[in-house]
Amino acid sequence: MPEIDNRNSEKTVYELSAVGRGTNLMPECDVPKTELPGVLLRKDTETIGLPGLSELDVVRHFVHLSQRNFSIDGGFYPLGSCTMKYNPKISETCARFEGFAQSHPLQPDETVQGNLKLMYDLQEWLKEIGGFAAVSLQPTAGAQGELTALLMMRAFFRNCGETGRTQILIPDSAHGTNPASTTMAGFESLEIPSDKHGNLDLAALNAACDDTVAGLMLTNPNTLGLFERDIETIVRCVHDCGGLVYGDGANMNALAGVVRPGDLGIDVMHYNLHKTFGTPHGGGGPGSGPLGAGDKLAAYLPGPMVRRIDNAEKPDPGYMLFTPEKTIGRMNSYFGSFGVFVRAYAYILQHGAEGLKQNALHAVLNANYLREKLRGIYPLSHDRTCMHEFVLQGKIDGSSVRAVDISKRLLDYGFHPPTIYFPLIVPEALMIEPTETESKQTLDAFADAMKAIALEAVDHSETLHSAPHTTPVGRLDEVRAARQLKLREDDRKVKDNLNKA
Amino acid sequence: MCDKKCVGFLINPIAGMGGRVGLKGTDGMENQARALGARPAAHLRAMDALCRFVQLMSHATAFPLRWLTCSGEMGEAVLKTAGIPMNVIEIVHIVTGQSTAEDTRRAVSSFMAQKVDLIVFCGGDGTARDICSVAGNGVPILGIPSGVKMFSGVFAINPVRCAETMLAFLQDRLTAVQTEVLDLDEASYRAGEWKVKLYHAALTPFEPRYMQSSKALIEDVDDTAVRAGIADYLLEQFQHETPALVFLGAGSTVKSVGDRWGIDKTLLGVDAVVNGECIGSDLNEQQILELLGRFKARKLILSPIGAQGFVLGRGNSQLSPAVIREIGCNNIIVIATPAKLAKTPVLRFDTGDAMLDRELADDGYIRVVTGYRRRTLVKTML
Repeated sequence: MPEIDNRNSEKTVYELSAVGRGTNLMPECDVPKTELPGVLLRKDTETIGLPGLSELDVVRHFVHLSQRNFSIDGGFYPLGSCTMKYNPKISETCARFEGFAQSHPLQPDETVQGNLKLMYDLQEWLKEIGGFAAVSLQPTAGAQGELTALLMMRAFFRNCGETGRTQILIPDSAHGTNPASTTMAGFESLEIPSDKHGNLDLAALNAACDDTVAGLMLTNPNTLGLFERDIETIVRCVHDCGGLVYGDGANMNALAGVVRPGDLGIDVMHYNLHKTFGTPHGGGGPGSGPLGAGDKLAAYLPGPMVRRIDNAEKPDPGYMLFTPEKTIGRMNSYFGSFGVFVRAYAYILQHGAEGLKQNALHAVLNANYLREKLRGIYPLSHDRTCMHEFVLQGKIDGSSVRAVDISKRLLDYGFHPPTIYFPLIVPEALMIEPTETESKQTLDAFADAMKAIALEAVDHSETLHSAPHTTPVGRLDEVRAARQLKLREDDRKVKDNLNKA
Repeated sequence: MCDKKCVGFLINPIAGMGGRVGLKGTDGMENQARALGARPAAHLRAMDALCRFVQLMSHATAFPLRWLTCSGEMGEAVLKTAGIPMNVIEIVHIVTGQSTAEDTRRAVSSFMAQKVDLIVFCGGDGTARDICSVAGNGVPILGIPSGVKMFSGVFAINPVRCAETMLAFLQDRLTAVQTEVLDLDEASYRAGEWKVKLYHAALTPFEPRYMQSSKALIEDVDDTAVRAGIADYLLEQFQHETPALVFLGAGSTVKSVGDRWGIDKTLLGVDAVVNGECIGSDLNEQQILELLGRFKARKLILSPIGAQGFVLGRGNSQLSPAVIREIGCNNIIVIATPAKLAKTPVLRFDTGDAMLDRELADDGYIRVVTGYRRRTLVKTML
């Protein structure tokens, strides 16, 4: 009787390998054949160890693996501070247009005018959305946007001769990348506590503001999902001591089309195209973190940027690359994540100004709807109207379950867990961001699952402690996994499998 | 208003004497402490608390209050000097000769027999242990901090706050909660080993703002990298400055800085470092002052006691007000790992010099080094 193991049945390609099987439907060679240089030829006769698989074997293997993954296309993904909204398929189609997909970054400008126009329009739209004087599309991730902004601040103060400004103020609710970027940029970070309402503590901010401060990094709404109500006072306080204010635009999905950070006095801010503008995240990336800057810092933006050619004689003189006057240089070899620009461009075109505003309003509405549905079942970190996300505490009276148990159990109910144990200032944090693309029915189903889990936590806590039960793998030892990395298959095991085959 | 209330009051006259001369405790070391020049100070701390209490009582709605105490310097003298009327003081235990732990235990037996509402004492963890060995958790106890180390949760954060807590409790505005009485094994402590033991569960008036929480011993293996980051950052800073005399305070966080610098740092003492060389270990007040006379540039690295948040005034009394003034408040660098700070919401200073404490607490916040090029703004409270 063969052993049946449906939960862990997917074998590696080496285990699936069979001698003599293969796929050799290679396309016809479209360049002249030539001999490889002698130095590149393999000296020994040993096999290179490729597995023998048919095309169908390969297709099934990867389809099986993809089905084990959790994706936005497969289910609700309320991962706080990540804005896991639906990535429209039309944006993907546009990114695959041959003119975009087949262009090369070293082509002469005149042969890629369409690409340059797209970059120019995107810069202009982001300027308008954020209320900034200029936008550079260079950074390829949110954290790289942070680093770029800090390097610009450093260049600004050097230029002003104010080299004693070494401190960057960072709220204790900030994303962990903020202090990391600060250190990389050569500054020191000073963490500022939050007040009991979840906002930046103004008394502490006042105590910290002096002539050693280069700037403040502020996420608004913050990672508790709360709008910084004293934003104007905060900005004034930092500006009054000679510092600059950096906006972490990770949570821009709550503001796009409603509030312009530049109008609030923010000097420089990164956007996450892969959050606010619906382009894929993580494994489906890459990301993109364009940077908007106000008048003080615009000249320091990284290049190349795109501008219209100034020629009054021609009706449409075209576009050219340029580098700002006091630029800190490049952050990437070429132009940033161009494929992501196309997707974000398509997204903005689809929605228009009014559509972007509606998206922000719906994101806030969805978060507040879910917050109200879960009120009283789990403790709220701060009981006030939230923006695009909110933070619960994964604690149930009379039960030993923790946020991690609740999250794992959600997988059994078919939902991706929220962000957990972040922000760090909330014990047992469950940070939930539903986004605007989810329906009321989906939100209701998620709330029902959360309620069912709360009941289980009291009556069947062991079910939660040992969850998940229905996924391809059960509860993992995440600490051990993080400390004992195993990033490749054991060579001997691979050879054994090939020999067996 | 309240019914007639009764307070049992006692002072351990020798409490805290060992600390100023670097003995890390006074248990069994009284004569050595005196020989090294230590002077009794507990009665002064008790006086601060009682004077404040009398002052508060004069503004409060009057209620009948009776005091039971020991003769002489174990209570009676201070109560009278502070202005407590003679007719409400009752001596329940006569001390003959030099007071001992046995006197404390006998006095507490008498307090219990007369069903006091609260026992107020002036001393350290050793005194708290002696009291609890008789009282158990039958009656709430409240300590005026005067020992060398005070890990137990029965102490008010300073004498003034003790008076306020005492009054609020006697006026039935506070309830009593369970807390722990901890103490160090002083013999091991003097040998550089940190053994804190839980001795008793006791009752104490509950006033979260004013009471010390029992010291949480925060140990986290993941903190190793953070501690290394702190040490590297400090070293990097000192490399840009004039070669300075650097004092390293007590505790495991500061010790890990010393370890990273390649110095054989004592766990519980104050050590001195110049140009990467340890030039003095486990220094007392006098030795520190002598070194300060020889070096102009100076720094002092300290870490708060976890949870309680005391930076000065607990376990480092050799860093006296005179020493701190000589070093200069601006030359003190406070360090802590984020894990420790997470359980230590406010930092406190209790040097015995209120004006200096205010100066140290700055404008309500201080900057604590929490990692490589990382600081955290932490609230201070007096």
